[in-house]
Amino acid sequence: MSQTITIDPVTRLEGHGKITIMLDAKGQVEDAHFHVTQVRGFEKFSEGRPFYEMPSLMARICGICPVSHLIASAKACEAIMSVRIPHTAAQLRRMLNLAQMVQSHALSFFYLSSPDLLLGMESDPVARNIFGVVAAKPELGRAGIALRRFGQHIIELLGDKRIHPGWVVPGGVTEPLAPAKRDEILAMLPEAYAGIAMALEAYKQIADTFKPEIEVFANFPSNYMSLINDDESIEFTDGALRLIDPKGNTIEDGITASKYTEVIGEAVENYSYTKFAYYKPLGYPEGSYRVGPLARLNIVKSMGTPKAEVELAAFKQLAKGPVESSFYYHHARLIEILYGIEKIEQILTDPLILDKQVRATAGVNRLEGAGQAEAPRGTLNHHYKVDENGLITWANLVIATGQNNNAMNKGVLQAARAYVKNGKFTEGVLNRVEAVVRTFDPCLSCSTHAFGKMPLALTLVNADGELVDQVIR
Amino acid sequence: MSLPRARCLILACGNTLRGDDSLGPWLAQWAERRFQPESGVRVLARQQWAPELAEEVARAQSVLFIDCSIDSPPGSVRLLPVEPAVAQEGLATHHLGAPELLALGRELYNSLPCNAFLLTVGAGSTALGEDFSAAVTAALPEACDRLEATVSRLLSGQEPQEQPQHP
Repeated sequence: MSQTITIDPVTRLEGHGKITIMLDAKGQVEDAHFHVTQVRGFEKFSEGRPFYEMPSLMARICGICPVSHLIASAKACEAIMSVRIPHTAAQLRRMLNLAQMVQSHALSFFYLSSPDLLLGMESDPVARNIFGVVAAKPELGRAGIALRRFGQHIIELLGDKRIHPGWVVPGGVTEPLAPAKRDEILAMLPEAYAGIAMALEAYKQIADTFKPEIEVFANFPSNYMSLINDDESIEFTDGALRLIDPKGNTIEDGITASKYTEVIGEAVENYSYTKFAYYKPLGYPEGSYRVGPLARLNIVKSMGTPKAEVELAAFKQLAKGPVESSFYYHHARLIEILYGIEKIEQILTDPLILDKQVRATAGVNRLEGAGQAEAPRGTLNHHYKVDENGLITWANLVIATGQNNNAMNKGVLQAARAYVKNGKFTEGVLNRVEAVVRTFDPCLSCSTHAFGKMPLALTLVNADGELVDQVIR
Repeated sequence: MSLPRARCLILACGNTLRGDDSLGPWLAQWAERRFQPESGVRVLARQQWAPELAEEVARAQSVLFIDCSIDSPPGSVRLLPVEPAVAQEGLATHHLGAPELLALGRELYNSLPCNAFLLTVGAGSTALGEDFSAAVTAALPEACDRLEATVSRLLSGQEPQEQPQHP
């Protein structure tokens, strides 16, 4: 008799998802799916809106990474306007995007994953949360909270709002940087550096204790994609995309936003509302790839900042080619936080950073435009078509979580096969399967709003739909 | 980053697009107009209370949390003391309650405000929309009076008077 295990909802994620594990008659794992159960629809209901409203509209997709949507959307609008934004505006946007990356990575590592990493996958689920981390490692808890606040405060300083700033607009930004704000951010840097140094040290101390998880947490060869600069250093806001194969060889380079849809396709599976992106020349699913921190560090040759450069060199020693286990997303995330802090400092010392010329203006000069950026969790592409009045007639978004979708599903299956034996599972097993998804830090939510508390229920149902076992927490 | 120490921190919670849930931000705006920064009153409104607010809460001399309540009768205004309490299993790390924020501040920064109170107004509707329900609209004057009296007493070092529970 075949059976199904359902984890619904998966906890400590951005948004709501569900995991189903299908067992065969002998109780062995036959297949597994990670379902995204939210319906979006932003592409459809933006039709008819003026293109210059798009950044603000699109930012509402997410409460965690709205800045990436703002930037990718503004860049798509600038392609429609056929303008190049001023240098200072580009630098300010870059800083905003990095601040968001820092706060989002801090949330992912400290709030969502550090309970597993610092307290253990099998630790008491009652205490496996930020309170447990604070009780066990108060200094690290303070550092994590401070890093998140660091990123959020920069966003608030630049954009006046910490969640949905309206500062990024087609053509640049609405206001130049005030000297007092620059000085305030500079004053925050020492605490941020101290916090990430502590986190990296703590991670390195415990990483080796997770060798079993490293072996089965989405540990397989895959393609990778991310933005990269001409000098092969990491880039979050500009640059062009590069795709590498499982051995690290470049298979596609210089992918601009407008060329994106020529090489990236989207497949649909009947168990998820999120699409499955793939590299068209290889087809689906062979052309599936990973994006986000692990992909970025596997692709780039340099971080472009001194401290992060040292960490990247050590990271590259983890494997002869690309680092394959998604467990290392955690490590990559911390290195990127360090890079973000360093790069923000570099940007603030740009002699033109206080320049007043921060916005280009133009009307509709093209009827189609695309923009791309690196969100914390991976590449993001916005593609719009407009009529001659600048009203949106068509929009398509390819988000990071869709691009990691195939790898997440394969990772869930790999972990389930490793830990679920003979139809038996424990809370610790359930947590490990969820933790695979957490390594990718998928962002499933349209917003951060929620009422009440949702239970996590793992149910075992037989082929006749009868409840065999259930764990609720 | 050193945070300013408020004599009275007003920390409101709510979503301005969810009907009566916008009560918190609305009262926060009212408080910002009513109390000058020089008075030592600091007003913050957030869609959710997250762990990064713990330091501000811990450092404040007193804290007045404001939120709508889905457990109270629509339009009923209540003021209750808040004690620190560690979250139970299933904690949502994106948003915390007032007791959890106090507990987190105590754990992380070894500090608690002298007084912590929660002002709530019973929600009539939290459906999508920017308007208050009739019950909450009618309760706004009482909520403002209650807020003003509570903050004034906290600033003068007196304990606010708790509201008797409605039947």
